[in-house]
Amino acid sequence: MATQEELKKIILDVLPDVDCVIGWGPGPEPLCASPYFMRNPEDVDYLLAGPASVHNPALFLPEYKGRKTGVVVKGCDSRSVVQLISENLIRREDVVIIGFPCAGVVDASKIAAKLGPYGEPGETERAIFDKDALNLSLGGKELSIPLSEILADKCSRCKHPGAVISDYFAGEAADALQVKDDFTDLAGLESLPLEERFRFWEKEMSRCIRCYACRNACPLCVCRDHCVASSREPHWLAQANGVRDNLMFQVIHATHLAGRCTGCGECQRACPVHIPVLLLKRSLGRAVEQLFGHHAGLDPESRPPLLTFQMEETNIKEREW
Amino acid sequence: MRIGVFICHCGSNIAATVDVKKVAEAAWGMNDVVYSTDSMYTCSEPGQQAIEEAIREHKLHGVVVASCSPRMHEPTFRRTVERAGLNRYMFEMANIREHVSWIGRDKALNTLKATELVRMAVEKLRLNRVLTPKKIPATRKVLVIGGGVAGIQASLDCADAGLEVVLVEREPSIGGKMSKLDKTFPTVDCSSCILGPRMVDVAQHERITLYAYSEIDSVSGYVGNFEVNIRKKASYVDWEKCTGCGACTEKCPSRKTFDRFNEGLGATTAINIPFPQAIPKKATITAGACRQFQGKKCGVCAKFCPTGAINHEQKDEIVTVKVGAIVAATGYDLTDWTVYGEYGAGRYPDVITSLQYERMLSASGPYGGHIKRPSNGEEPKSIVFIQCVGSRDPSIGRPYCSGFCCMYTAKQAIMTKDHIPDSRSYVFYMDIRSPGKGYDEFTRRAQEEYGAQYVRGRVSQVYPRGDKMVVRGADTLLGLPVEVEADLVVLAVGGEASRDAPKLAEKLRISYDGFGFFMEGHPKLKPVETNTAGVFLAGSCQGLKDIPSSVSQGSAAAAKVMALLSRDMLESDPQTALVDIKRCIGCSKCVKVCPFGAIREQDLRGQIKAEVLEAVCQGCGLCNATCPQGAIQLSHATDNQILAEVEALLCQM
Repeated sequence: MATQEELKKIILDVLPDVDCVIGWGPGPEPLCASPYFMRNPEDVDYLLAGPASVHNPALFLPEYKGRKTGVVVKGCDSRSVVQLISENLIRREDVVIIGFPCAGVVDASKIAAKLGPYGEPGETERAIFDKDALNLSLGGKELSIPLSEILADKCSRCKHPGAVISDYFAGEAADALQVKDDFTDLAGLESLPLEERFRFWEKEMSRCIRCYACRNACPLCVCRDHCVASSREPHWLAQANGVRDNLMFQVIHATHLAGRCTGCGECQRACPVHIPVLLLKRSLGRAVEQLFGHHAGLDPESRPPLLTFQMEETNIKEREW
Repeated sequence: MRIGVFICHCGSNIAATVDVKKVAEAAWGMNDVVYSTDSMYTCSEPGQQAIEEAIREHKLHGVVVASCSPRMHEPTFRRTVERAGLNRYMFEMANIREHVSWIGRDKALNTLKATELVRMAVEKLRLNRVLTPKKIPATRKVLVIGGGVAGIQASLDCADAGLEVVLVEREPSIGGKMSKLDKTFPTVDCSSCILGPRMVDVAQHERITLYAYSEIDSVSGYVGNFEVNIRKKASYVDWEKCTGCGACTEKCPSRKTFDRFNEGLGATTAINIPFPQAIPKKATITAGACRQFQGKKCGVCAKFCPTGAINHEQKDEIVTVKVGAIVAATGYDLTDWTVYGEYGAGRYPDVITSLQYERMLSASGPYGGHIKRPSNGEEPKSIVFIQCVGSRDPSIGRPYCSGFCCMYTAKQAIMTKDHIPDSRSYVFYMDIRSPGKGYDEFTRRAQEEYGAQYVRGRVSQVYPRGDKMVVRGADTLLGLPVEVEADLVVLAVGGEASRDAPKLAEKLRISYDGFGFFMEGHPKLKPVETNTAGVFLAGSCQGLKDIPSSVSQGSAAAAKVMALLSRDMLESDPQTALVDIKRCIGCSKCVKVCPFGAIREQDLRGQIKAEVLEAVCQGCGLCNATCPQGAIQLSHATDNQILAEVEALLCQM
């Protein structure tokens, strides 16, 4: 927790120069943190930066465009910040980026599975994360769950646990990890014949209630109130809640993120009916990586390949001369 | 809305494989269709009149014609509906010829597909809006790219008609390939004697501005209002001061510079004037050959220049011009003949190209107009001409006939006899192609009066024996192998699109074929137009041609330019992108993808919004596809129209 204390010091230093600092604070239940907007020095006391800090605070930055804002970021969050800067959706000089070495965040559904025999996760009375385990009491029982069993999948393939861009960094900044992302999460689905893959998505999308939580949790989905999903002019989607339009919406979302998505996974985490929507984004992201060698959210000077116009793409030979 | 549908038979082009009557019947049942019929040739006068009458009689608001490609007749039918009082954009076309009847044989399936295409067109038309072109002023000035004979003709014709002309030439002098030729077929008149005065006319014409040794850097804008950046390449000589006296070229110590004008036959100096009749007659330094640029102490040219024109520090300069129309006349280059290892070109000095032979024959050439063997300077007595080198050869990707080689070889055989009366010429040919006024007679004269020995067959090998070159081939008429001992071998090298022609085409946004030749608007009816408004073609850049055809095209392109710029105001195409500022969130993704620079950010009461410059927008739709929230729509192909078409297609499946 030394890092958290150092973070608090940094934030207190930064606070006078910014509108607010966005980080994480106590959530409604002991097991989860909540996005937290610190405006006064006394707010900083309640900062939580640890395995429960699942939310991506970059989500809020576009709304603060033009106002100086501090933001505490995990590695994955920092890539969203970079991507927003590279697309001119926020200005670099408007944000004060505060990084720290993230050790991974938990996946609530994995915790729920572990706690199943003992009670509802929401009834947890006390929860403390230590270095390797989550210790909690539930239904009068003291439980200890190894962190490695409840970390989010994205953390296992994370190359940049520390921020890729930062003005301040609490603790020791480390080099990028030598982790290879071999897209094992896609392998199962892709081994199926096309027909079955489609049936998989039909089944998943039949659950979708079109709440747009996935869209609203996405830091790069900046259209929000102007989303093509709720527009009549143009009228891309019917309001009918059927598989066809639900899938259409997800495909539009994934297409709009091709080459921009940094894989923070907030869309899937936010889904109340557990549709694995990140798979669509991962699949398109991999295609862009392979075709254009582009990795979103690492270089503020780069531009997503699908947001450029070139007569001749380096990797696609349309004509020779 | 009241829609009329017209299904065209196109003679038997469509009717043979599409049940046209059935399609017309099916159209009666489509949304908003109040009239449907079929006609033999909808584009004919009675066909168009029928449309006009139907519009009046049935009070139609819009018309669908199912016939050929919109590339062919969309403008025709737009005019038709406009004559009957409709807005010309209340018209849609279904392509049931190129997309259906010409490519499918199954009549039942074709009929179904044609019906679906008509239904899609009807659904799109239902969402069409009236569009009104804006009037835009046109710059009465034309850019001609390429100062060969075609470009010269186009420039002079335009300038004589009162237009301002900017002529850009890549080489230090205009004149093109024709200026390298000694004589021209079929009259054997001196090339520079007929071209020279035209070149002088260009230099002296008060309305022609010549940029020699310059290239097109970038082109923006649109018909009537192009903005062109011309890169004046550094010649390292101040052409304002240079008088073309040639003192520098006499004193320059780098005397082994590759002579581009003379096709490498002989050498020139690092600072040189390409040929005596050059326009402009100005010196240029070849930096790669100049001692000064290689860090050696020299500067001899600067010392001897009487006007102090030499400037080794000169840099490329960009000049911006505004023009209303552009004529591309970039000509051709020789095909790479060195790929024919069996002919030994490049390895044996006595195997030369036809263009090198022209320079040899030319009195102002490096050999002073004497035919000599490059190896030893002796007069050759036996000369072999090999035809179709780099033409009609799919194996090197040049399947086409270059068209002019048969004729110039006949001319060269005649000239050889004139120069060396006791010489013998042999011509190995595939076919003699000589259509044209006086052309066939000319090739006969070469054979009958000048005794050129024509051998029908390909040459398999050229190799040295002693100081002779042995040409081995077949006489396919006799069915026998042939071997000729030659003193000189001349390869009749064919042509290909000028180097970097595709890059220029991309800048001009005109189409080009697989060989790099620019595409005409229509192979028969629009030979000098392109599909980009305001850009025209002349000469070999469109396909290889001889001098008379190039000159004709130069004049034809000029006539098109004159017709275009005879009006002070042009109509802009209203089929552009439009921003719904209520939906725009100012993410500027559209600004980034627009290939034409037609979208900019505007500050609207403190909020960033995209703004389309209508006159610059080409309606390509990239922004439309990119905009995540659909705030940019093409006025004539909105998302809703595309969706309506898709729905029309899907709901039938």
